[in-house]
Amino acid sequence: MSDGSGQPILALEGVSVDFGGLRALHDISFGVATGEIVGLIGPNGAGKTTAFNVACGFVKPTAGAVHYPLIQKSNLRPNQLSRAGIARTLQGVGLFTHCTVLENVMAGGQTRPDGGFLNSFVASPRGIRAERRLRDDAMNVLARLGVADVASELPSSIPYGIAKKVSVARALMSEPRLLMLDEPASGLDEAELSEFAAMILDLRSSMGVLLVEHNMEFVMPLVERLVVLNFGEVIAEGTPGEVRNNDAVVAAYLGVAQ
Amino acid sequence: MNRQRSPRGLSAAGIVIAVAVLSLLVTPSVRDGVALAILMMLTVTSALILLPSELRRARPVLTRAATSTMVVSVTLVATFFFSSTTDFNLATGAAMAVTLVGLSFLTGVSGQVSIGNGAFMGVGAFTMAIWSNHHATTPIAVTLLLSVVAGALVGFLLGLPATRLRGPYLAGMTLAFAVAFPAILTYFNSWTGGDGGLQLPNAANPPHWLNALFVHGTSSLTSSTLWLTDITIVAAGVAFFFMANLFSSRVGRAMRLVRDNEVAAELVGVNLNRTRVLAFVISSAYAALGGALWTFLNNSVTPATYSFALSIVILSVIVIGGIGTIPGALIGGLVYAYSTNVINWITNQTGLNPQGNFASQLNGIIFGGLLIVTMMLAPRGVAGVYYTLRRQRASKRGDVASPPKETYAEA
Repeated sequence: MSDGSGQPILALEGVSVDFGGLRALHDISFGVATGEIVGLIGPNGAGKTTAFNVACGFVKPTAGAVHYPLIQKSNLRPNQLSRAGIARTLQGVGLFTHCTVLENVMAGGQTRPDGGFLNSFVASPRGIRAERRLRDDAMNVLARLGVADVASELPSSIPYGIAKKVSVARALMSEPRLLMLDEPASGLDEAELSEFAAMILDLRSSMGVLLVEHNMEFVMPLVERLVVLNFGEVIAEGTPGEVRNNDAVVAAYLGVAQ
Repeated sequence: MNRQRSPRGLSAAGIVIAVAVLSLLVTPSVRDGVALAILMMLTVTSALILLPSELRRARPVLTRAATSTMVVSVTLVATFFFSSTTDFNLATGAAMAVTLVGLSFLTGVSGQVSIGNGAFMGVGAFTMAIWSNHHATTPIAVTLLLSVVAGALVGFLLGLPATRLRGPYLAGMTLAFAVAFPAILTYFNSWTGGDGGLQLPNAANPPHWLNALFVHGTSSLTSSTLWLTDITIVAAGVAFFFMANLFSSRVGRAMRLVRDNEVAAELVGVNLNRTRVLAFVISSAYAALGGALWTFLNNSVTPATYSFALSIVILSVIVIGGIGTIPGALIGGLVYAYSTNVINWITNQTGLNPQGNFASQLNGIIFGGLLIVTMMLAPRGVAGVYYTLRRQRASKRGDVASPPKETYAEA
């Protein structure tokens, strides 16, 4: 399904979702691999967020399946995603408001294999080392994104653009092969937008990126491939150039009857 | 004291002052209170000298271990010089503090309210009493561990609804257990001794390995029950060390994440149900240890002790001490232990009939009054006041680089 060069990480296969009588998604199929940046776009109510939530296990598909090729499993719970090499940010910033920035980023390493209950309880050397490594790694990720100076602040006291970077830092802690960004551009000003775009391009070297976005000026130059949804169906898929000239897409966005 | 006062030192100093004021007010012998205050001051000062701030920052576990060891050993030495009443109060406070620190974790860190921790305490207390009556030769450490296991099991069963119930509904479920618990105990009277409760069979003598310290080598200072006090204090110190580890480790963090933002917590890989139930298991295991120590200290147990009222009192004193904090549990435990002395002191001073209507309600009046004052002036309790002051000092200095390891107190 995915025509990216890398290893496939996520594949939706014939996914449908019904909420009661409402069909939110109908027979959706697309995939993402490492090394590519894929945009999921569509008018309001097209089913973008539902598609994201199905991919993360927050919503169960009524029909079809979500595959995670890296671990050869399907239909995982959200808390199993990191094992499948996937990390996701939430709309807005979605940070833990009562925890410091550093703790927020450390939370991203919550599923590391060492440092379980017993190691924590008795503070075994192994548990202590794991905690110290987690703290160091979190500081390194913050430094890599250029926001290490806010490490001991609470999320409520830092600017929105910085908080968005912190939420990316948290997602990076599990060393994902696919990063899912939910509306990364919303609420950012021009300067922050170009910074964010540069950051995403930089991340591509080691992982795939799947993003849901409204802001076409942000998406078009950034992505290699677009999946366009309308009324719960994939109406087009291809490079930004192809999609821009697709009649169905133009009609959907301009509201012209076909 | 160190000129560059450290937060930890301040916190310890706060506790020392609180203890000293309480002791001066109400201990039968003022000498004990003063001696206790001086000894605790000495502990804190030596802790500050021995553990410079760089070490405290770099090696938090070592710091925790050293602090618990020092506080416990100094208190142990002190018990040899105190009157048996002071010793008993201290040990009661220590046993209650173990229960409280478990509730502090459950409600303050994981954010789930339990009104049933008095009953969880009772589970440990009766496990202790029943097992001792059937197997008098079991070493005390093993019996205590059995009580903890029993508490953890009951906590697991009652924690299972936490996967489905939230907030007041979950609290209501724990309340039902607390209300039913004394009746359950009375129903199984062949095991629990019914309303009369149980006596511990081997209360009179310390274990043989303690004989040298408490019987042969004793001076006139040593009372016959001192060994009970000292075992309780050591057990509480160990329990506090482990709980401090949980608070600032990945386990405690998982609890805070779930409380703060369920969706985000799930996305970083936290299993919500497992985390919620684990908090219940830990809390009830600690409550059971507190109850077992209390039984051990009193040599007896009755169902009436573990009534619904106890659960309410437990919740009140941890709120007064500072819920979600570790020092708060210690303060709450001492407030509880000394409340009887305060009441006696009030009845003595005012000439009230101690058996009278008013005097018998004083307990509720004092805890209720303290609770109202706490909620109005310092919603996060005595320990919360200290954390607020410390943060204000830090921001005034512009010191934002302090490690965030104690942010659990902010929750």
